[in-house]
Amino acid sequence: MADAAAHAHDDHHPGFFTRWFLSTNHKDIGVLYLITSAVLGLISVAFTMYMRLELMEPGVQYMLMEDGVTPNGHLWNVMITAHGILMMFFVVIPALFGGFGNYFMPLMIGAPDMAFPRMNNLSYWMYAAGSTLAVLSVVSPGGDQQLGSGVGWVLYAPLSTREAGYSMDLAIFAVHVSGASSILGAINMITTFLNMRAPGMTLHKTPLFAWSIFVTAFLILLSLPVLAGAITMLLTDRNFGTTFFDPAGGGDPVLYQHLLWFFGHPEVYMIIVPGFGIVSHVISTFSKKPVFGYLGMVYAMIGIGVLGFVVWAHHMYTVGMSHTQQAYFMLATMVIAVPTGIKIFSWIATMWGGSISFKTPMLWALGFIFLFTVGGVTGVVLSQAGVDRAYHDTYYVVAHFHYVMSLGAVFCIFAGVYYWIGKMTGRQYPETLGKIHFWMMFIGANLTFFPQHFLGRQGMPRRYIDYPEQFALWNQVSSYGAFLSGLSFLLFFYIVWVTVTKGEKITEKAYWGEHADTLEWTLPNPPPAHTFETLPTPDMWDKQPHH
Amino acid sequence: MEANADKAGQIETAGGEPPAVGRSDPPLYEVTLWPNLSLGRRGYRIVMGGAATMLSLPMIALAGSKVALGLLPFVLGALGALGWFLRRNARDLSLHERLRLWPDLMAVERHEPSGRVLRWQANPHWVRLKLHPDGRPQNYLTLKGGGREIELGAFLSPEEREDLAEQIEMAMARARGAVGER
Repeated sequence: MADAAAHAHDDHHPGFFTRWFLSTNHKDIGVLYLITSAVLGLISVAFTMYMRLELMEPGVQYMLMEDGVTPNGHLWNVMITAHGILMMFFVVIPALFGGFGNYFMPLMIGAPDMAFPRMNNLSYWMYAAGSTLAVLSVVSPGGDQQLGSGVGWVLYAPLSTREAGYSMDLAIFAVHVSGASSILGAINMITTFLNMRAPGMTLHKTPLFAWSIFVTAFLILLSLPVLAGAITMLLTDRNFGTTFFDPAGGGDPVLYQHLLWFFGHPEVYMIIVPGFGIVSHVISTFSKKPVFGYLGMVYAMIGIGVLGFVVWAHHMYTVGMSHTQQAYFMLATMVIAVPTGIKIFSWIATMWGGSISFKTPMLWALGFIFLFTVGGVTGVVLSQAGVDRAYHDTYYVVAHFHYVMSLGAVFCIFAGVYYWIGKMTGRQYPETLGKIHFWMMFIGANLTFFPQHFLGRQGMPRRYIDYPEQFALWNQVSSYGAFLSGLSFLLFFYIVWVTVTKGEKITEKAYWGEHADTLEWTLPNPPPAHTFETLPTPDMWDKQPHH
Repeated sequence: MEANADKAGQIETAGGEPPAVGRSDPPLYEVTLWPNLSLGRRGYRIVMGGAATMLSLPMIALAGSKVALGLLPFVLGALGALGWFLRRNARDLSLHERLRLWPDLMAVERHEPSGRVLRWQANPHWVRLKLHPDGRPQNYLTLKGGGREIELGAFLSPEEREDLAEQIEMAMARARGAVGER
């Protein structure tokens, strides 16, 4: 029988090593994800600074071979590959899904922890191992008798099956390990969301951020096994003489593209859907209104997730598909604009008539809506197979996906950091510096990527180290924008440091006001190690008018 | 029950586990308590069906090709892992407690996820029911009797424990009354 104890459930204080290396606490693991992804983000952004420096002027000035004259195209390829792999697998998803998802999803549904805390720890360390492999692949022997592999983050065969050295194998292993980590994490999130919601919290009453993590988890679970299978076949093609993707042995390299994009397109939504959740809460909080059209928002996320699985070939219109196939993928892709539009209009309707407070998190959320809308509109343009013939592999595509992901998703990360940093640390960020950070990034990012639409329309292809004189002006503007954005990222690290060390202490639990009404706002700042060991009651969270 | 629990502020067990109660007469009061589990059997079937359908999309497209064989282990592995972990979590939350009350006996059985059954029993005349409004967790509910003090419904919400305490108090009063009528 469970005998009565004194029940002095005081927070235990594990030592540094136990807390951060052996942790099974969802909040600590969330913090670990955020810190690791920030460090990897810094590395990845450093690569882009180097690339934009090189592209600032026509000719090759910085990426040269040892003779100081010959352009080092391999190094360029390594930079774009590493930037893509790090950003797609190790920075944005781990920050939004692993970081905020781990920290806040269980809190929002009133669960004491994740369903499988030890598996959560395993997921994080597999992610850390994968990140290490990814970084090591940059400095390991690769193709062209140089270091690193330069095949692009998509790892297309036959480039990836013929790249020399073991750098390519390390990159594939990195994606493998991070994929396994993500699948375990996704199962953990799904189980937690489905089984451990507070009594009375039906699916139609669950907060939007928790929903967004659940939808993302399903996208990961359903698409990553396909990628895992595809890259395993790449490995066996490389190392064991199989010919899954080699026409000489009856294989098909285009099939690899199909498999990659069957994962790759849902990947876009894995990146952005958690951001949708964060932005919904931020906009509601700072508009001082409940979110407009809660159910529409939920089903729009589900709709986007489902549609995301049936549009993958719009990334590969030029491989030789039939007209019927292209027509299908065009139409299916355009349909995604409907649920996406529902979300955009619902956010606008939430703000409509509200008493809007332009605090830093709100600025990031508004910035996100603007940028994501621009990226979404160019996405509809690119969805047209005929138009895509002209834009395929040009800077127009680079501009499009950076507006959606690099800007859209990264703005969501910053919105989340500024929204919750007081909750997580017990100290508030300096508001003025936060706003300066926003404006530097907003201006810098637009300066970087908006001119790339023009470059794409002029026909500048992506993935090249050099370009003709005609493209010089907009490349220069783009590089200046990138440097401004890079500086803003350094400012962000300074702001976090100032917040953690000297930030104003905040004791009020719901310090953003009454419209920050999900369960994390009923907890102290920072929350104790163990939360919701006693089940929360509906009066603590059931405040939305639609319930 | 583990003996020597007094270090943690618990009351040492006297006499070890009592045997299962094998009475045939109906109890005056009976209640079964279990933790909140938000996913039911129907929900489980929907989740697994949806996952299987979506995972079968690429497999249908590749049916008959050797690449399908390369994907199959990963697809089946993901589906199997989802099902196994959902069931495992449901089993972890399958803990339940059963309280039965007769005029001369109060018995509590705690069925743990591992299958272990822990038992406690005492004479209701001497049992003390205590609700700790300021406790952690709030409204911590304990039963004291038979040389031990046990917790009841620690996994419930504070409001549920408060309601439960009221019901048990009333049932105990009925039990004592029934003894008096004899």
